[in-house]
Amino acid sequence: MNLPELSPRVELSCGLSIGYEGRLACVDGRDEGIVLEGGTHYLLARNGRGKTTLLKTLAGVLNPLGGDYSCEGRCQYLSEDLTFDRELPAKAIFKAFLKKGKYAEAIDLAQTLELDVKKPYGQLSTGNKRKVALLVAEFSVQDQGHDVLLLDEPFTGLDTFSREVFQKRWNHNQDGVLRLVSCHPDFDSMEVNSSVLITNCKIVHVAGDGEAQCWGELKNQLN
Amino acid sequence: MQLYRLTLATMIQRKVWIIALFCALVLPIVLPYLTPYESNPSLIEPARAQAAWGCLWVVTIAWLFFQAARFGDDTARSGLGGYFLSSGVSGLSQMMQIWLACLSFLLPLVLVTLAVCFIGAMPSDSAQAQMWVATNLQYAALFLLVVTPLMMVAVSVGSRFGSTVGYLIPLCMSIYGMYGVGYLAMMTDVQSNLLLDWLYVVSPHYHLADLTPRLVFKHGSMLSSEFLQIVVYFAGIKIVLAMLSTLTFQPKAAT
Repeated sequence: MNLPELSPRVELSCGLSIGYEGRLACVDGRDEGIVLEGGTHYLLARNGRGKTTLLKTLAGVLNPLGGDYSCEGRCQYLSEDLTFDRELPAKAIFKAFLKKGKYAEAIDLAQTLELDVKKPYGQLSTGNKRKVALLVAEFSVQDQGHDVLLLDEPFTGLDTFSREVFQKRWNHNQDGVLRLVSCHPDFDSMEVNSSVLITNCKIVHVAGDGEAQCWGELKNQLN
Repeated sequence: MQLYRLTLATMIQRKVWIIALFCALVLPIVLPYLTPYESNPSLIEPARAQAAWGCLWVVTIAWLFFQAARFGDDTARSGLGGYFLSSGVSGLSQMMQIWLACLSFLLPLVLVTLAVCFIGAMPSDSAQAQMWVATNLQYAALFLLVVTPLMMVAVSVGSRFGSTVGYLIPLCMSIYGMYGVGYLAMMTDVQSNLLLDWLYVVSPHYHLADLTPRLVFKHGSMLSSEFLQIVVYFAGIKIVLAMLSTLTFQPKAAT
């Protein structure tokens, strides 16, 4: 894998504690901390365990309750409830966000995903609205890499075909982008190379060491 | 400048700007003819200027202030503010981008108003024409000095308290500054009250920016020294409001 020289990196030091008023989860003080580099990492946990809180903290939108973290790279946090003006068509949204070349690529992928780019955003289905936000994030990354994409449940409402298109793109494109994707996989055989789990109020990193693990094995580790 | 482009695209897409343009361009031509102008046709030109500036005030207060408040609210609630914050766009930059997008619609409207006054209501006498141009340019400068900080207030208050409050505050401020302060002056004349005197002093005297009577009654332009004094006064208010807006703006909804 040829990563660009400026490789994105997310580091969660031991003792990092996240939450609002009460602590939701922390990186165990006995561990060495968690380091994530370019590639796709899945953030897995049951509901209400702190996936969104962790992503918001890493994005700098929320302060941690304690401990340190670092997020090296151009960060983009795509929240689950990110929406655009209901009268704007996807085409206009892409035009506002993307450079010319990237805009054309986004339109191409939108066609593959059967997203009507001329339809007002408010008239799109939940899944198609999600595609708009994902395409914006995907094509906003810089050519030379060094981007950190924090995606909060990007597959919600997305059909299997579209989800696979994105996953294939992430697997095939060695663009040096670090993606931390929170999700609830819906089939046991889904391969996960690297995952960050939040279980028993602890944030742990499970790396496959080159061998992909399956969601079926990982889900047993979630409390 | 992604948020600026997105806000601009949204305003274009909503198409209300067509009504605003219509109000600024067509109403000043049509409205004077609805008056009994036949009794004195020479009044039609000043009436046109009066209608042009009146329409501009109404369009700005009714439409642009509301748009500004709504964009502030939408940015905070839609998650866009958080998205831009995560990608390194500060709250101040976000507020400025939304404000600039609204300003991009305001400036052409001011130019249209000036064009109506210059083309449709210019006095034939060259000395008067010169004075007419100067008065209108002074009016445009004072108008912008008054409404642009209020638009910033609409964006910032809208982001923190929602679009309704974000709209009502600059609306009330502008109406109070234009008309309310006059009533306050009458009250302070009738009875001496320290509190009312103090309130009068700290109130924004936006009525000073309304040069419509000068145009209608052809009083001529303001003296440079007088004009500069008012510019400095409004610039001071602008700085205060800009600082308050920066503190108030909230790019993400409270959690």
